[in-house]
Amino acid sequence: MQDDDSILATEHLSLYYGDNQALRDISVRIPRNRVTALIGPSGCGKSTLLRCFNRLNDLIEGVRIEGRILFEGRDIRDPGCDVVELRKRIGMVFQKPNPFPSSIYDNVAYGPRVHGVRNRGALDAIVRVSLEAAALWDEVADRLHDSAMGLSGGQQQRLCIARTLAVGPGVILMDEPCSALDPIATSKIENLINDLKEHYTVVIVTHNMQQAARVSDFTGFMYLGRLIEFGPTARIFENPREELTNNYVTGRFG
Amino acid sequence: MPEVLPQPGRLSSLWKRTRRIRERAVRTVWFCTAIVAVVAIFFILVFLVRNGYPIFAEVGVRAFLAGDTWNPTGTPPAYGILPLIAGTLLVTLGAMAIAVPLGIAVAVFIAELAPPRLRGVVKPAVELLAGIPSVVYGFFGLVILTDWIRISFEIPSGETWLAGSILLGIMALPTIVSVSEDAIAAVPRGYREGSLALGATHWQTIAGVVIPGALSGITAAIILGVGRAIGETMAVIMVVGNAAVIPEPLWNVLSPVRTLTGTLGIEMGEAAAGSTHYHALFGVAVVLLAITLAVNLIARYVLLRLGGPARRARRGHSGAAKPFARAVPGLLAAATGIPAAAVPLPGAARAGRRVSPKTRQKIAFWLMYASTGIVLLFLGVILFDIVSNGLPALSWEFLTAPPRDLGRAGGIGPAILGTIYLVGGAILFALPIGIGAAIYLHEYTRGGRVAGIIRAGADLLNGTPSIVFGLFGFAFLVLYLNLGVSLLAGLVTLGLMILPTIIRTTEEALASIPAGVREGSLALGATHWQTIWRVVLPPAVPGILTGTILSIGRAAGETAPILFTAVVFSRRLLPGSVMEPVMALPYHLFILATNVPGARENQYGTALVLLALVTAVYLVAIFVRSRYRSSARW
Ligand SMILES: Nc1ncnc2c1ncn2[C@@H]1O[C@H](COP(=O)(O)OP(=O)(O)OP(=O)(O)O)[C@@H](O)[C@H]1O
Ligand SMILES: [Mg+2]
Repeated sequence: MQDDDSILATEHLSLYYGDNQALRDISVRIPRNRVTALIGPSGCGKSTLLRCFNRLNDLIEGVRIEGRILFEGRDIRDPGCDVVELRKRIGMVFQKPNPFPSSIYDNVAYGPRVHGVRNRGALDAIVRVSLEAAALWDEVADRLHDSAMGLSGGQQQRLCIARTLAVGPGVILMDEPCSALDPIATSKIENLINDLKEHYTVVIVTHNMQQAARVSDFTGFMYLGRLIEFGPTARIFENPREELTNNYVTGRFG
Repeated sequence: MPEVLPQPGRLSSLWKRTRRIRERAVRTVWFCTAIVAVVAIFFILVFLVRNGYPIFAEVGVRAFLAGDTWNPTGTPPAYGILPLIAGTLLVTLGAMAIAVPLGIAVAVFIAELAPPRLRGVVKPAVELLAGIPSVVYGFFGLVILTDWIRISFEIPSGETWLAGSILLGIMALPTIVSVSEDAIAAVPRGYREGSLALGATHWQTIAGVVIPGALSGITAAIILGVGRAIGETMAVIMVVGNAAVIPEPLWNVLSPVRTLTGTLGIEMGEAAAGSTHYHALFGVAVVLLAITLAVNLIARYVLLRLGGPARRARRGHSGAAKPFARAVPGLLAAATGIPAAAVPLPGAARAGRRVSPKTRQKIAFWLMYASTGIVLLFLGVILFDIVSNGLPALSWEFLTAPPRDLGRAGGIGPAILGTIYLVGGAILFALPIGIGAAIYLHEYTRGGRVAGIIRAGADLLNGTPSIVFGLFGFAFLVLYLNLGVSLLAGLVTLGLMILPTIIRTTEEALASIPAGVREGSLALGATHWQTIWRVVLPPAVPGILTGTILSIGRAAGETAPILFTAVVFSRRLLPGSVMEPVMALPYHLFILATNVPGARENQYGTALVLLALVTAVYLVAIFVRSRYRSSARW
């Protein structure tokens, strides 16, 4: 049932936090090398769905999952699936920046190091290009060895993006990556996302309708744990099939 | 630009395989340490209950618990422990009346009010207070405090409930201060800023936002303090008179009392194994366990009632913090048995409705300064007394020679070395197991039922009085395993005693690392162990170190657990093997102070050396910790 151009997919995915069902029967296919936006009102399960793709929900007590989650056609919940490799190949940028309490350099070098890069020159190069790609290099070039906790919220978020890029994932999950950024940094990130999609698949959760329209090729609209509608971004915004979607994208929600 | 970034790719299968093997090996190691810890914990519990059971069968539960005469060596013997229970509760109650208000006030002072310079003085001072071994407190109490009470109240002997409460209050203070202060400092800065930004005064912010946010930690602090007071043996034996009577009238603080722990410390060596008296002492230990359990359950209940909503508030879902500000005094009272009015916190602030916020703040802050002053005064008096009287005794001979003439002359060399052996051995034994078990429990189990049971067992033993470990070590290691009174029996007993503390503080340090940081690392494809080793442990080190410091100090100063397992009073030679007994400083001081008249100078000398030794350990550890403390708070 997997066609060639989808890299991630779910089939009849339901997720419960204890008794509280957060995802209801979601079937979706995320196209390869495209940017997919997930939109929907707060609490509808966007972050939860995103965290299914790299199995971060494993860490939460009392989570129960039904259905299938496929990465390149294979169920990532199979016992045979190497969750560490999965997470190396599917990066994530969190809603709240979560740098490690170490230096800027060490934050970015962390991923390559845990994957076995020891060569100082190689690390330096990776740190540099990653920071440049995340539009942070110019601001931190002269204080790479200062603590990352001293950066502003927006800088911390770009650091987290750089950190993710440094690992070389094929898919990047972004959970409202721009919610802490100013318009300039935001547009830098949006440009970055545009550049990235040649090589990467991006899934981005956003509350910003314009952003979804600007950066994404496909959009999924979620509501109360259901995926209401999924399709090319232009169609979702201009010609939604569902009443709910229409209300949401036109801002007449409530 | 992105072309030069690391390209998407798979991990090589060799790399994956070695990594998987390493992960499994590490996990297995921690699992084994956890198993050792668990077996030890539950074995101790079962052993105590097993040996205590016969007394309940023989005398009857009712007669044992409610009998008002304790006289196991009389004819006929009487095994009623009501006076002992009363003694324990009253002394603890008095101690908390002193330590809770002072402790919380000092914690708030350190965390919120003190300028950094002053904090750098007050905080180590309080930690120093924690470093004073209990037998040194007991010695001070015996020589100075009881004397002062005898003279001020014009009574024949100053060895009273009051003396015990004052001494225990001072001893419980550092625990309450440090743990509360940690909890207060851990409240996210956003809370404070949110409140200040709404125009609240500093005091309103402290009382309405910071303290409620830290409430679970403060509650834990008080409960730890209660545990410390209930569990203390040696200091109490030295100052409360040890008459097994219920004060008449009940609030007569000038009456002598006898505690449960004191009874074990006094009588353990006399009871023949297997006799009714022997089982009665285990019965006392079981009652102590039950009290500890009750304290733990109350704590858990309090935390449960607070924990849920407070945690939700932390996630930003609701403004649930406010009602808790009001609940503070009541809950504290529930946890300690102290009337709410004794707690100078939001309750007091609320009482003065009509006073302007500024004035209220002034009064509140003034109270905090005063409390801090009082605590520093305690410290100053104790230190001055010990140091000024102890210095003249010090000489090279005193530090190196064995004692002569029952310790009135000669030195304490073997006792110093014996203490170092005991503590070093206990730490070597308990630290790897304790840290490993905590890592396993916290990082590898997801709060399943088994982990919960283990944690409950560790918590129970953590609050269990040290004399109970002494009883276990004596009955099991010395008598049953036939190790005899030996260094080995002593260090295992001490190690078992500090094991739960190490597990618990390590777990707490791990729990204080935000989940987001772990997720950040895992999301980059770091393995579980890589995440623990590189991201979780480094910032947890200061916390783990703090736990270890406290344990070392405790082990070095403890007398009760080694009383009947490891020590002899006088010994010329160093132990040739771990199977021989040793001298130890705290025990030496205890015997000198209680049984050897005319040895005042050497008593002070021994107290000073013991104090210096423990303090030195603390200073080294505090120094190491402060070097680690460079990274920012969350
Ligand atoms: N760790 C958790 N434990 C219990 N319930 C949770 C947990 N995380 C999320 N939920 C619940 O699951 C539902 C979906 O939450 P989720 O965080 O996925 O929403 P979201 O769409 O990302 O919202 P937002 O736009 O506000 O980030 C919500 O009802 C939330 O309360
Ligand atoms: Mg979300």
